[in-house]
Amino acid sequence: MKTLYLAIKYLAILVWSCFVVFPFLWALTTSFKTANGVTGGATWIPWLQYEPSLHGWKTLFGGAGGTDITGPYMNSIIVTGSASLISIVLGTLAAYGLSRFTFKAGFVRNGDITFFFISQRIMPPIVLAIPFFLLLRQLGLLDTLAGLVLVYIALLLPIAVWVMVDFFNNVPRQLDEMAWLDGCTPMTTFYRVILPNSIPGLIVAGMFCLIFGWNDFFFAFTLTFTNTQLLPVAIVALNSSVTPWWSLSASALISVAPLILLAFVVERFLSRGGLAGAVR
Amino acid sequence: MYRQKHLFLLPGLLVLVAIIIFPLLFTIRVSFSSWDVFQPGLDWIGGENYGRLLEDARYWGALGRLLVMAVGTVLIQYVLGFALALLVWGDLRARRFFRVLFLVPMMTTPVVMSVIWRTVFHESIGPLNGILQALGLHGLPWLSEPTLAFISVMIVEIWQWTPFMFLLLLAGLVSLPREPYLAAKIDGAGPIRTFFAVTFPAMAGISIAAILIRLIEASKIMESVYVMTSGGPGTATETSSYYIYIRGLRDFQLGYASSLSVTYLVIMIISLTIIAKVLVRFFVKDRT
Amino acid sequence: MSALTLQNLNLNVDDEIWLDDISLHLEPGGLYTLLGRTGAGKTSLIRTIAGLEDLDGGRIWHGDACWNGLAPWRRPVAMVYQQFINYPHLSVLDNVAFPLRRAGVGADEARDRARAMIDKVGLSAMVARRPGALSGGQQQRVAIARALAKDAPVLLLDEPLVNLDYKLREQLREDLVELLAGRQSTIVVYASTEPSEALQMSSRLLLMEEGKVVQEGRPRQVFDAPASIGAARVVNDPPINILSMTLDTDAAEVESLGYFPLESLFGAARLADIGEAGLSPGQYYIGLRASDLQLAPEGRPAEVTLTEVSGSETITHLDMAGCHLVLHERAVVNHRVGSQIHVRPRLSTVFVFDRNGALAHVAHPSRGQD
Repeated sequence: MKTLYLAIKYLAILVWSCFVVFPFLWALTTSFKTANGVTGGATWIPWLQYEPSLHGWKTLFGGAGGTDITGPYMNSIIVTGSASLISIVLGTLAAYGLSRFTFKAGFVRNGDITFFFISQRIMPPIVLAIPFFLLLRQLGLLDTLAGLVLVYIALLLPIAVWVMVDFFNNVPRQLDEMAWLDGCTPMTTFYRVILPNSIPGLIVAGMFCLIFGWNDFFFAFTLTFTNTQLLPVAIVALNSSVTPWWSLSASALISVAPLILLAFVVERFLSRGGLAGAVR
Repeated sequence: MYRQKHLFLLPGLLVLVAIIIFPLLFTIRVSFSSWDVFQPGLDWIGGENYGRLLEDARYWGALGRLLVMAVGTVLIQYVLGFALALLVWGDLRARRFFRVLFLVPMMTTPVVMSVIWRTVFHESIGPLNGILQALGLHGLPWLSEPTLAFISVMIVEIWQWTPFMFLLLLAGLVSLPREPYLAAKIDGAGPIRTFFAVTFPAMAGISIAAILIRLIEASKIMESVYVMTSGGPGTATETSSYYIYIRGLRDFQLGYASSLSVTYLVIMIISLTIIAKVLVRFFVKDRT
Repeated sequence: MSALTLQNLNLNVDDEIWLDDISLHLEPGGLYTLLGRTGAGKTSLIRTIAGLEDLDGGRIWHGDACWNGLAPWRRPVAMVYQQFINYPHLSVLDNVAFPLRRAGVGADEARDRARAMIDKVGLSAMVARRPGALSGGQQQRVAIARALAKDAPVLLLDEPLVNLDYKLREQLREDLVELLAGRQSTIVVYASTEPSEALQMSSRLLLMEEGKVVQEGRPRQVFDAPASIGAARVVNDPPINILSMTLDTDAAEVESLGYFPLESLFGAARLADIGEAGLSPGQYYIGLRASDLQLAPEGRPAEVTLTEVSGSETITHLDMAGCHLVLHERAVVNHRVGSQIHVRPRLSTVFVFDRNGALAHVAHPSRGQD
């Protein structure tokens, strides 16, 4: 009975692991193929089943027959990085305010404002895409990095507020009061006392912002054309009718690689129980 | 005395209002205009667009498909995510390795993985049919047959987002107190009874949160559809977001697409509120 | 050197009265102990002085400066919390230097002064550590050092010892008395729930109950003549026994203790005074300290419901015909729970309160003539 249970358990884990790994392995092996290796049917093992080549990887960096993705990669880093940074700054400030002070405006209270921030995650991207398109065109920001940063802030600010409000609610208020009595105004209290003690929260918020920013496709796709291509857009552009599967696979792998590293960070927080608070 | 408090809240609040609420109000205004590629500009045509969408069978069809797809994938994700979380919760060799592995899909860019999945599902040279054929079965037209295409999109959604359920539920399991389990053990309850008597009720709160968050996200499904099937074959995999995208940013019927957006948003908010109430009732009744 | 004057302070939170019309005058060099049970309003009063609560009424003056509406960071106030609050990201040295730096003291001077203060609280070996690496007692010493380093004219201590275990508490209290001694220009307000602590610490005692200051005076004075049943309850630990009493012209019946000739209750020479004190026959309450009950074979029987031995003292809770009594013995005695013992009043000090609970008379019958 016990052995049977264990067998089922490990079998289930094995099956799911295969499912998880499947597309990655497939992309990995495909990235070393050439046109011949791809059209010959589904093959997995290099040298034995097909002749491996670095062609797919070379095209990523300007080699013939593919797209140079270094530009889009840089664009993605710039847009995700700056939007995350701005969102964290604004979000952390707002979250601190909401966690520490009482705001009243008509029937609106702190809880309502917090909900307003977080509820923006409900907004489907398409609902915003149309006005964004028109407004950015009006401002001359269509197809620019600045325009995308602006849009991504809308995407990431709610996440930053969500994580940080929860974090600050768990920082004892007496710490703030102590700082006040030691002569700090709320602003100095915030950056001299609260911020240095908020690094775990900032890491979690930053991680979420980076993931969501990096993974967005829709806004980058609808609000840019050719000048400012972000990484996902560049990759999807390869997904045309005559698909160079080798470059496609290589670029896909190189674009998700940094995120896979983040999975390790997330797991560390999970094991320490640090996430239980952050996700509630 | 605390005048500085506004310095904390206002920058973020104003930015959010400027980049979300203002555009949203703009959308509502545009939805009462006939703005399209031939006649760009804000005129006033009253509720004409809304009248048109009531008779737009393609729109309601897309909404129905979205409902089936969202509810279907989220329920499957919940069951699988819970099962996986339970599997790596207890003693296990290389537990941390599997935890990381199970988290990986949700971290990866959905649209990029959809591109890879499209090659996986390729009818003649994709590996999935390759495996089926190696097993002596027939390859299936994964992306060109309506039902199969629908299922394919669901498989990708499940692959991508089950880890999210897994993450939240595992975080919940990790923070559960130990005492009830000792008590259950002393009472001689088996693993199944312990699960339904102790674990499941204790996870009610986090279950509701996880399901709701996933439903919200799933109601936006369109990237995987765009990349894998472009809504096809026919309109077999077309979701609301994708249909609005086609009307708005491809056909450039901005006025009409805006009315679709507004209706879609309202329907979503109402149905998510109802679902939230139902979920709370379901889980809380279960607790007693 | 300005005095702190509180005028008619009122504080309500959620329709509940936390401070009820408090007026006080606190002089520099004075050590004021706020004594009261949890929830009596001590913390609220301290937080109000610090500016951490918004008043619903009243004014706070420091000399001729009005503190109403003055932000906490502008008030010359230092405070120590019950919880051990320090800055987790700073070393002990930087923690203590922090308020000095904020007050504009140069880095070197701030560190020197901080180091001197850390020496005084006995933590010189720990200057480089983070508070998280210290024990609870040491953390509180850091908090005290930080509060003292500022040299603020008003020093507020909100039950600073309550979260420490017994040994540490005794030790830190002694050190604290020493640290606070001779601060001629400082107003020290010290909140406490423990009467013995109040006796040891304070120059002035302020008794608090239900958001009011019910009595003010030198500690001994308050102990010897608590103004009301409430005050008597606050200043006596173990709790004082309050029993109802029916006074007649020549005898009194005390609830469950039985009849006493007036002479035995109030002393022979005092009989005349009773009339003067306005004790006409009627309904009263009598207060007998727990140490004023004693074991006596001829006394009344009572059942032991609970005993606590702490140090060399025994506190025994009794049930005497449905009436709850507390007996305090300065010896380790093991009364079995459920057993029967006989007790009677020692009659060294007898407090008499009128029907409204106000003190009517204090008698020392066994002292004879006086």
